Amino acid sequence: MHPCGGDKMSGCCGNKTNCEKSTIKAEKGEIKVAIVGQPNVGKSSIINALSNAKLHVGNFSGVTVEKKEVYVKKNGYDVLMTDLPGIYAFNAYTPEEQVAKDFLIKEDCDVIVNVVDANTLSRNLIFTLQLLDMHKKMILVINMVDEIEKRDGKINKKRIEKLLGVPVILTSAKQNRGVDEIIDCIIDTYNAHIVKNKIYYNEKIEQRIEDLAKILQKSQHFRDKDYSRFIAIRLLDRDENIYKIIHDLPIFIEAHKALEKMYAKLEAEFDEDSTTDILANERVAIARNLQMEAIDVKEEEESLSEKIDNFLIHPILGLPIFLFFMWALFQLTFVLGNYPMNVISSIFSETSAFLADLLPKGVFNSVLTDGILPAVGAIVMFLPNILVLFLGLNLLEQTGYMSRAAYLMDGFMKRFGLQGKAFVPLVSGFGCTVPAYMAARTLKNPKDRIITMLVLGFMSCGARLPIYVLLVSAFFTNENPGNILFFIYIGGAILGLIVAKILRTVLFRGEPEPFVMEIPPYRFPSFKALGMDLWIKTKMFLKKAGSFIAIAAMIIWFLSAYPANDDMVQKYNAKIEQTSSVQQKEQLKNDLNSKLLENSYLGSVGKFIEPVFAPLGMDWRLSVAVVAGLSAKEVVVSTLGTLYSMGGVNETNKGLIEKIRANVDFKAAIALIIIIMIYSPCLAAMGTFYAEVPQWAWRVFYTIYPNVVAWLMAFGAYKTLALMGY
Amino acid sequence: MKNISDLKIDEEAIVAKMIAKEPVKGRLLSMGIVKGAKIKVVAHTLARQTWDILSDNTKVALREEEARCILVEETK
Repeated sequence: MHPCGGDKMSGCCGNKTNCEKSTIKAEKGEIKVAIVGQPNVGKSSIINALSNAKLHVGNFSGVTVEKKEVYVKKNGYDVLMTDLPGIYAFNAYTPEEQVAKDFLIKEDCDVIVNVVDANTLSRNLIFTLQLLDMHKKMILVINMVDEIEKRDGKINKKRIEKLLGVPVILTSAKQNRGVDEIIDCIIDTYNAHIVKNKIYYNEKIEQRIEDLAKILQKSQHFRDKDYSRFIAIRLLDRDENIYKIIHDLPIFIEAHKALEKMYAKLEAEFDEDSTTDILANERVAIARNLQMEAIDVKEEEESLSEKIDNFLIHPILGLPIFLFFMWALFQLTFVLGNYPMNVISSIFSETSAFLADLLPKGVFNSVLTDGILPAVGAIVMFLPNILVLFLGLNLLEQTGYMSRAAYLMDGFMKRFGLQGKAFVPLVSGFGCTVPAYMAARTLKNPKDRIITMLVLGFMSCGARLPIYVLLVSAFFTNENPGNILFFIYIGGAILGLIVAKILRTVLFRGEPEPFVMEIPPYRFPSFKALGMDLWIKTKMFLKKAGSFIAIAAMIIWFLSAYPANDDMVQKYNAKIEQTSSVQQKEQLKNDLNSKLLENSYLGSVGKFIEPVFAPLGMDWRLSVAVVAGLSAKEVVVSTLGTLYSMGGVNETNKGLIEKIRANVDFKAAIALIIIIMIYSPCLAAMGTFYAEVPQWAWRVFYTIYPNVVAWLMAFGAYKTLALMGY
Repeated sequence: MKNISDLKIDEEAIVAKMIAKEPVKGRLLSMGIVKGAKIKVVAHTLARQTWDILSDNTKVALREEEARCILVEETK
C-alpha cells in the first residue's frame, strides 16, 4: 500500500496529522526530488506557489538549459527539488527534453513528482505511464483542477490512486490550493517502504518484457528486478539512449539477438510497423480508460481560447495582428527603454567625472574612470531595453500567444530554412543583439537555434544607427536619408534570410526540421512568475555579459591609452599654453589625442590591419574605427571623431560630416556601411553567443564567417562602384 | 485515403494510419495523436502551409508535410 493514497489511507496528505505521525518514526535527512511534467502543465507556477521555498537558478552542467532548484525545510527534512524542463515523452526530441530524460535516468532521486494538467489528463498520463515503468517512488500532481470545476466537472482522486498505485494530489497553483500538500506527501512517500506503482501491458508484451528482463539480469548492471524491467521496456520501446547503454556491455550480444526476434514477433502479432507504436497504442488506451474512469466533465462547446483564436489566428487577420504586436513591442522596447538609458548613462558618466576629480591622478584613476566605469555603464545601459523586451516576450510566451505567432510565421520562415518561432528573436535583433540571442532560447531545435543565432547579427541593432546616420548624411545629400536608412535595415534583414537559406543547404543539409508544436490554451500571466523571471534574467545578464564586456572593454581601453607618450603630451601641453586662442587650444588638444591614438597599441593595430582594409579603399583610421566597433558599435562614431581630430563629436556634428566627406572616398564609405551591416556584433553580443552556444566549432565559425562575408561583400561593392565610374 | 491536409476548417475525422517517420511520429504519439484518435481542424494559414488541429483537448500546429503523414477516415 502506498503511503498517501490507496484505499485505507487515502487523503492522508491533505490531512497534516497523519503525515506528521509518519515523519516522526522515520529517519530524517535530505530528500532528492525530481519535478517532471509535460510542457504547459503549470509546473513553474506550482513551484512559485510553494511556501517557504528557496529558489536557486543555474544551468544543467555542460548545457545552457536553465536548472531551477527549490529547497524546502519541513519537519526536519531537507527537501531538494529539481525542476526538470518540460518533457512530452521518453523519446526525447529537444535538448531540454534530453536533459530531463538524462536526469531521470542517471540521477539518483528519491521521489518523482509528476505534474499533469487536468484539462489534458489522458495525453499527460501517457508520459506518466512511462515514468511508472521506472518503478520509483512517485507522486502524481493533477494541476488546474479549478478549470475542471468551473465546467462542473469532478475528478475522482481515489480512483486514480487505486488504478495507478501512486498518491495523487489535486492542485490549483492559480488559487494556491493543495500546493503545500506536495511537500508533506513527498516526505510520506519517501518514508514508505513499498513501491506499488506498476503498470501491466498486454500479456504478449508483458511476456517479452519478462523474458528480456531475465536476460538483462544476467549482467551485474541489471541485477535489480525493477531496474531490469524498466530497461527492458525502454529497449522494446526502441529507446536509443538506453540501447547505447547496453551496447558496450557483455550482455549486449545476447540481449540484441533476443530483442531483434521480439521486435519482429510483436510487430507481426500486432500488425504494426514498430514496437514503439504498439507500446504507444497500449499507453494511449490505458490513459484513455483512466481519464474516463477518473474525470467526469462535459466537453466544452467553445472555450474562450477558441473565441480569441478566431481573431488572432484568423487566416487573413492573424498575420497583420501579429505584425502589429511585434511593431508595438519593438516600439516599447525603445521608447520605454530609452528613458532609463539616458539616466543610467549620465549616472555613470557623472560618477566617473566625480571620481576622476576626487581620486589622485594616476593609472588607477584612469583605469577606473576611463576604463572600467564607462565599460560597466555601457552594459548596464542596455538593461532597461532588455528588461522591456523580455517582459514583452515573456508575456507573449506565458499567455500562449508565442506559439500562435510561430504558427502564423512558419510558412514564410520555412522558405528560408528557418522556423516560425525564429521570427521573434530576429525582430528583437533590430533592437539589441544581446537579448535577441537570449530570445533564441525559445527555439527548441538545436539546428534552428544555431542558424537563427548565426544570422541574427545581420539584423542591424540600434547601436549601429549613429554610424549609418553619419555616413548617409555625409554622402547622400540628394536622396531622402530616411529611405536610405530603411534600405540599409531591410537589406540587412534580407541578407540574413538569404544567408540562413545558404547555411541550411550547405551546413545543415538533409530533411527540413519538422514542425510539430503544441498550441497551449491562452492563460492569464502570473505577475509573480513574470517578476521572478525578469529578476533571474537581470542577474544572469549582468553576470554573464557583464563580466565578459567589462574585461573586454578594459582591454580595448588599455590598447588605446598605452603606451603612454609623456614626451608628446608635454610638447603639446607647452604649445597649448603658448597659444591664447581658445579655438587653437581645442585644435591642439584634438591633435594631441589623435597623435596619441595613432601611437597607441590600438593605432599600431590599425596600421597593422590597414592592408586588410586597403582593397576596400579604407585607411588606417577607418580600419581602427571598424575594429574598435567590435567593442561596441557606438565606439565607431566616437573613434572616427577622435581620429579626424574633432573633440566630443556625435553623429549630428556638422564638422565631422564635412571632414568625413572630404577625407573618405564615396566607394570606401559604401564599403564601410556594408562592413558595419554584416561584420561581427559587439563584444557583449559575442559574449552572449559564446555563453549560449557551448560548442567550440560554432563559436569559431561565428567569430570568423560574418567578417569574411562582410569583407567580400564590401569588396564586391567597392569594385562594382569603381567600374561604374564613382 | 484522405489525410489531414484534405480536411476543411472545423471538419472532424478519426486518425486511421500514421505514415510519419521518427522523430515526428514520436512527437505526435506523445501528444496523443495515435491511431483511433479523434481530431478536428481548428485553423490553417491562408496558403494552407501550417495547420492547427485539435485532438484530446490539445491543439497542435503542424506543417503541411506533417499533416499529409496523418491519414484519416470519416467520423462514424
